[in-house]
Amino acid sequence: MKINKSFAEDIKQIRERMLPTREHSRRIIHWEEEHRIRTGRGKALVFILPTRGCSWALSGSGGCSVCGYLYDNPQHPDPDLMKSSFSEILNNKITQEEEYSIKIFTSGSFLDTNEISLDVQKSILQELQKYPQIKEIVLESRPEYVTEKILQQIASIIDIKKIEIAIGLESSNNQILKNSINKGFFWEDFEKAVKRILDANAKVKAYLLFKPPFVTEYDSIKDIFQSVSKIEKLGIDTISINAVSIHRGTFLSKLFENNHYRPPWLWSIVHLCKELKSKFPKLRIIFDVVAGGNIRGSHNCGECDKELLKQIKKFTLSQDIQAFDEGVHCSCKEEWKGSLFQEKISLNDFYSNT
Amino acid sequence: MHIIQLGEKLRFFQPLSQLGFARILAETRTHITLSPGLISLEKPDGEEGYSAYFNISIPSIDSLNDLPMQLSWILPEKKSEKALSKTSFISIQPFYPHFVPETLSSEDYSNYIEKFLSLHDIHNQIFTLPISMIDSQIVEQVIETECSLYVIVGLSSILKNQRKLSNTLVSLREKISPDIGLYLPGPISPSLHSFLVYSGIDFFDNSLAYYTSKRGHFLTNDRMFSTQNHPMCFCPYCSESPPNLFKHNELILKSSLSRVRYSLEEKTLRTLVEKDVHNKVSFSAALRNYDRLYSTNFRTRTPIISSSPMNCIGEESLNRPIVNEFRNRIKERYIPDSFARIILLLPCSARKPYSFSRSHMLYRSAIKKGGKGIFSILSELIITSPLSVVPRELENIYPAKFYDIPVAGQWSSEEIDLTATLLNEVLKRYNKESIIVNHMHGEGYDDVVQIIKKENSFEIFNTSIDSSPTSQESLLSLSQTLQEVYINKLSPQTKAPSALIKRLRSVADFQYGIGTGNVLFSDNIRTKGKYPRDLQIFREKNQIGSLNSKTGYLSLFPNTAELISSISNNILEFGTDQVKGSNIFAPGCINADERILPNDEIFVVFENNVVATARALVAGKDMNKMTSGIVAEIKKKSKVKK
Repeated sequence: MKINKSFAEDIKQIRERMLPTREHSRRIIHWEEEHRIRTGRGKALVFILPTRGCSWALSGSGGCSVCGYLYDNPQHPDPDLMKSSFSEILNNKITQEEEYSIKIFTSGSFLDTNEISLDVQKSILQELQKYPQIKEIVLESRPEYVTEKILQQIASIIDIKKIEIAIGLESSNNQILKNSINKGFFWEDFEKAVKRILDANAKVKAYLLFKPPFVTEYDSIKDIFQSVSKIEKLGIDTISINAVSIHRGTFLSKLFENNHYRPPWLWSIVHLCKELKSKFPKLRIIFDVVAGGNIRGSHNCGECDKELLKQIKKFTLSQDIQAFDEGVHCSCKEEWKGSLFQEKISLNDFYSNT
Repeated sequence: MHIIQLGEKLRFFQPLSQLGFARILAETRTHITLSPGLISLEKPDGEEGYSAYFNISIPSIDSLNDLPMQLSWILPEKKSEKALSKTSFISIQPFYPHFVPETLSSEDYSNYIEKFLSLHDIHNQIFTLPISMIDSQIVEQVIETECSLYVIVGLSSILKNQRKLSNTLVSLREKISPDIGLYLPGPISPSLHSFLVYSGIDFFDNSLAYYTSKRGHFLTNDRMFSTQNHPMCFCPYCSESPPNLFKHNELILKSSLSRVRYSLEEKTLRTLVEKDVHNKVSFSAALRNYDRLYSTNFRTRTPIISSSPMNCIGEESLNRPIVNEFRNRIKERYIPDSFARIILLLPCSARKPYSFSRSHMLYRSAIKKGGKGIFSILSELIITSPLSVVPRELENIYPAKFYDIPVAGQWSSEEIDLTATLLNEVLKRYNKESIIVNHMHGEGYDDVVQIIKKENSFEIFNTSIDSSPTSQESLLSLSQTLQEVYINKLSPQTKAPSALIKRLRSVADFQYGIGTGNVLFSDNIRTKGKYPRDLQIFREKNQIGSLNSKTGYLSLFPNTAELISSISNNILEFGTDQVKGSNIFAPGCINADERILPNDEIFVVFENNVVATARALVAGKDMNKMTSGIVAEIKKKSKVKK
């Protein structure tokens, strides 16, 4: 069993209470950002496609315990509008001088034909194929949708070497996948999908989740190290680590509201970056800190957050641990240590006002 | 590496004393005291004030398969070689934390326990116990092993729920043996230490120092202040510039626990707890729960042989375990002398024992004027709060000689009720022809007398109605009343036992169980030694025991104890006919009477022979739970019979 029934049931209940409230525009959201492309610095153009949302999250298993992206998807998507506005935005944004990485997010799986019909998939890829400045195309998908058939389909439309399929693995530890995240697949499924992608000459990016529910920060640091080591052995060159930010309407959010969860410390992230980069100098390590400094995102004491976030950002772009050379001296580093050990010993037993 | 012998489940801790659920735990082999103690989350600069520290570091990528979390005990170097072990480990933990619903965690938790039980060095392992699992059957398998230290998780969620808190802590401690240490990790305010130690928590950590220091919280023993505005502190860390807040806060935690440990050694912990619970509403309520709902659990673990002062300042004092135990024993074990016909009710005095007070000296000379030989038929009961009724014969024992209470003249209705109820019980044991002379004055006393009047047919004479009992008028009235009843109605009893015999009998009954006094002490008893020395007791020419002048309790020689071994409550059934060394160990203890209190004098019995007298370290019911370690210290061994 790849899911824990009782856990999935809890998540589903929370999900079902929130779902009817979602009401979102059927327009594509997009933005441009600085980005580290394999060849160097460049621009990233990010698209959020307004699909009906992740099939796993909509399924009877309730989806992942930490994910609330589904609530940003419209209940009734409009594929035609999606197609036309995609090509229009692309046309407006792409300039001759820059190199681009295109990231297409759906908050679900791009390769899932139930979420994005084959026809829409094709038309988007055909659009992208028109621009030589586009060096990388990142498509997100759960491993079960990465079939040989669909990879051949892609290769028939566009140079597949440009394609990077990003898979949210979150952790290489099946127990965490099952009992903490409710991911619905195991490491072995990821491994097989990776093999299919690499065999097809496309690239893989793996997402890891730093500090999922029930896992202490101490153990999550260990888990990230273990997961990165395992992923690296598969021949993957890019790992994006997401520090948990607490989405409303999720299982995790409930834990947080009951004072059973503290989002990760920025000190831990700095520690992870330094350790990982020195061990795997060739690996591209992207640390994405959503809602950094915020109470629902990774944060420290409030005084040193800004500076550390700046350094983490700088590191992600430069891939150089010199980004952390300018030491930040804040006395909350002691509190971080204490909290890391106490949380580990007491298994997330947090005290307030005692 | 220490090798554990098969069948011998040796635990790391040895309880050296007990008071309620609080115990002093020492390392089993070296007897180095470790609890109540503080654990440092990191190796500290200086070891003073800590019992142990963790050797944890932030995980690095090259040390993933590193050692488990290790806890190093701080034992003096010279002795540490002798110790059972120097380190404990947290090798595995459950996956799910305490707060997940049971539907989710129960399977994971059984897996955890299964794995835990299969660890080869379980005696060195630290067990993680979420409070939600306390009542679970599977935990019992761990309790049976030699695992000595549990980490308690999940207490934070019930800290404000006094009913759950008291219920949980009591059932936890009732379930597990006293030689198992409990470690409560997390930021716990020092003002709660005494209560939690009393509830059976043995170890805390310094995480509060980590949490408070950055946030600018300045700790004192009972409160938290901001660093901008706090009482002056003159500790070396506050004199540094800038002040070292972490070190200061750490010092407060250390000194708080050392204060608790000291009061436990001194046997005044309960007084400290009563003082400290006033810092937090839920803890005050939890303490009241202990005294009302779980009174037996604490009463049966609170020593009655003691000589430390007992200050009864607050309302909580009325229902202290020791007070309840005293009242209980008066009710069940006090038998007035059969010749008693006049029951004299007297008020208490501030000076203890009462006889040494000016007022009681005045009463005594007034009683004497009642007529020669009057003491042979007189039984004096001192009415007091919170002990309710103290017979004259027992005024020298703990706690009667040691309590102190603020007197303002008003009695609460609870005090009146408790006192009248007990007095009624005691009065039932007197000859029905007896009369009561009430020499008490004041509202509370009047109320008590009113209540007993309703339920008894004794004739009552009041001798201190209009003025204070020590006034000339009242004393005269006392003498005259006694004279009248004595001369007109009664006659002196020449066969009545002396005051000394009465006293010894009452103490024996109170201490060893009803009926023991009559067996032990008859006319052929002589004594030697004057206060403040202990009273040596002889029968014919042989010393049979002594009466400790500090505690007021007896201690007997083994051959004398044998006389009462069939009726005494203080019996420990032992496995062989010979005791070796100077201690009784748990494996040798076949069965201990559950009425044995810690620090009691007990009789070690094999096949109806008393082989030794001993001093209990823990309560009888806990002796039966312990599988290793010392349960009692031998006082005197019986001479081997030729």
